[in-house]
Amino acid sequence: MELVENKENLEIGAGDCIQLKKNILLELKTDSIEEYGPNLKLLPSNDQVRELQTILRDRNTTRSDFKFYADRLIRLVIEESLNQLPFSKCTITTPTGAQYNGLRYERGNCGVSIVRSGEAMEQGLRDCCRSIRIGKILVESDAETHEARVVYARFPEDIATRKVLLMYPIMSTGNTVIKAVNVLKEHHVLEENIILSNLFCTPFAAKAIVQTFPQMTILTSELHHVAPNHFGQKYFGTD
Amino acid sequence: MAANIQEYDPPSSASSDSDVCDRVYEDTRVYEDTVFYHDVEEDTDSFHIVSPPQSPRPPSACGSQKSPRARRQRTTSMSKSKTTNTSAESVLRSHRRTIYTAGRPPWYNCAGEQVKPFVIGICGGSASGKTTVATKIIESLDVPWVTLFSMDSFYKALNEKQHELAILNEYNFDHPDAFDFDHLIPTLKRLIKGKKVEVPIYNFVTHSRENKTKTMYGANVIIFEGILAFYNQEVLKMLDMKVFVDTDPDVRLCRRLRRDICERGRDLEGVLKQYCTMVKPSFSHYIAPGMSHADIIVPRGGDNKVAIELIVHHVHTQLSLRGFKVREKLASSAIGQPLPSSIFLLPPTPQVQGLHTFIRDKDTSRDEFIFYSKRLIRLVIEYALSLLPFKEIVVETPQGGSYEGKRCATDKICGVSILRAGETMEQAVCDVCKDIRIGKILIQTNQATGEPELYYLRLPKEMKDYLVLVMDATVATGAAAMMAIRVLLDHDVPEQNIVLVSLLMAESGVHTIAYAFPQVRIVTSAVDPEINDKFYVLPGIGNFGDRYFGTEPAD
Repeated sequence: MELVENKENLEIGAGDCIQLKKNILLELKTDSIEEYGPNLKLLPSNDQVRELQTILRDRNTTRSDFKFYADRLIRLVIEESLNQLPFSKCTITTPTGAQYNGLRYERGNCGVSIVRSGEAMEQGLRDCCRSIRIGKILVESDAETHEARVVYARFPEDIATRKVLLMYPIMSTGNTVIKAVNVLKEHHVLEENIILSNLFCTPFAAKAIVQTFPQMTILTSELHHVAPNHFGQKYFGTD
Repeated sequence: MAANIQEYDPPSSASSDSDVCDRVYEDTRVYEDTVFYHDVEEDTDSFHIVSPPQSPRPPSACGSQKSPRARRQRTTSMSKSKTTNTSAESVLRSHRRTIYTAGRPPWYNCAGEQVKPFVIGICGGSASGKTTVATKIIESLDVPWVTLFSMDSFYKALNEKQHELAILNEYNFDHPDAFDFDHLIPTLKRLIKGKKVEVPIYNFVTHSRENKTKTMYGANVIIFEGILAFYNQEVLKMLDMKVFVDTDPDVRLCRRLRRDICERGRDLEGVLKQYCTMVKPSFSHYIAPGMSHADIIVPRGGDNKVAIELIVHHVHTQLSLRGFKVREKLASSAIGQPLPSSIFLLPPTPQVQGLHTFIRDKDTSRDEFIFYSKRLIRLVIEYALSLLPFKEIVVETPQGGSYEGKRCATDKICGVSILRAGETMEQAVCDVCKDIRIGKILIQTNQATGEPELYYLRLPKEMKDYLVLVMDATVATGAAAMMAIRVLLDHDVPEQNIVLVSLLMAESGVHTIAYAFPQVRIVTSAVDPEINDKFYVLPGIGNFGDRYFGTEPAD
């Protein structure tokens, strides 16, 4: 991202104008969403969401606050992810005897969390879908080669027929998620049936994932070149 | 007429004798005092005490009944009889109608502005039947929230010597000096302004004021009653209508004799002495001249049906001129207009619509109803919080470098739920705001009038500094929400600091609130077009509180 930014500055030839630089960055951000194709979606932002993101970014946030506000942002991201699930129109009768044209969700969904930080999002999903089945994948990066490898995977048996809500809060390179999606595909889950729920994503990871899995839906709350990698440690208190 | 002597009972027992008060809530003393006072012994034909019927929004605090307080002890050493059949039944049934008396109906017009109450003064000699007249007026008025304010509460405390005189029947309770006008006048003034007042409780045994006071609120109709009600010029100016009850002196003496001797066991000598030396001269000197101020003189007291009808007719005309009938008017206004700019509608994503489908469906089980409504509530609350004031800040990240973000500009946020359905939103607001303070307001719909009534109020202190989220699950006509907002304004919360949060609103309710309080922001997840004749939203959700708490009436 730094590279792109500098390049833009050079082209315009106003490298010393900080405000301009900011504007370009902003434009880049908005442009970039389309650049990633239709399957990358951003949580609609408002001041409230911005506050949650700020608290999670702030190094001075206490752990108790961190968990509290992380759970809130997770809940919002999960709710928005569920909007990606298929539904059908229906008409019901209200207690007042009137008709109401509503929507009904299709059955056959499940969640899959990527251990460990993805598990932080499980409660949020449970709070929305009480009895949803949740699978798990453990992907570890090799300490030396930094290559991600799958250590453990456990899914509902009929996962191939289900829509899968894949949960992973922080993506900086996207390697872990790519590994995890590959595992899902090995279990015959269709790429277009996977919805990735994410809190913070770098443009690099977004690009990598979109390119690797163009059919998969990705939902994140923020695209930013710095990933808050402290998330898992701070959330679970192992820092 | 039978010795229908009913004096307004001093407040100490006003709320305690109720045996039917299903609607007694902890700490509701503020409101329960303002009720009808009537003589059960005499009027059993026209009044029946009934238990309150099911209202569309039954109180949530059922069962928290207070144990009855001891009745005030009675004395025979005073000049006036204090028969007490005063009771605080929340529901009275006259021969025609059932009247609910516990809650406070709107004290503002449909633009949300404070309306001056109608003040009736009732004067008359001792045992002339002032309270009977007051009761009959209230009964015929059929206006539920009436404050009966009696001069008797403002008897001066007696010193030891005066106390002894009183025992010897030598203290003049009928003289203007026996009353504390300096205290009475400001209290009455505040009451007329709709403010909360503390009324002293006079103990007729010790002839002193008790430490406790009774809290009264303003009302649509205030009846001020007392033997010297027309004595003071300043008081006279506050009265919109002056009624003098003119009962034949012989009848009044008979009543006193019967009451004091038969019921109180006093001796003839003492009663007559008191009557001749004090009661009668005082009447001639101070009370009878009040007649010249009266708008209406009612001969024969409470038996005079024609007079009472005339009075009631006049009061009704005055009340309707003042715009007290709120809900009916609200329901019909502004249909089909574009929604106001103060409304913030939760974006209707598929999830939101799906949740609506679940909770609107009459066949949804309660378990699911609760679950899905909670989810929807959470979304609405989160959305409402985005309307708070925010400031831009820069924070340091653990990765090094700074991050430009936002932070809420205030930490003074509190929630106020409108019982009962609004309470369902409390959990969500506590889940998103750490340590948030929660106030509660109970407003019930009066079945007889269709008007909302205020029953209970508990708010955090120093409300004026807070940003307040007013919560109610559904808003139909907006009458209850409007009352709640009015309460907050009365507590000095600035209008722009109020956010009304609900799951579902009727279009007319949105318009009503936006019209009355343009600066109040309204947050909801859906706006329905209609309201039915029971003031439910259509297509709506049914009675949200009943479905959530499982108190639907059996079919």
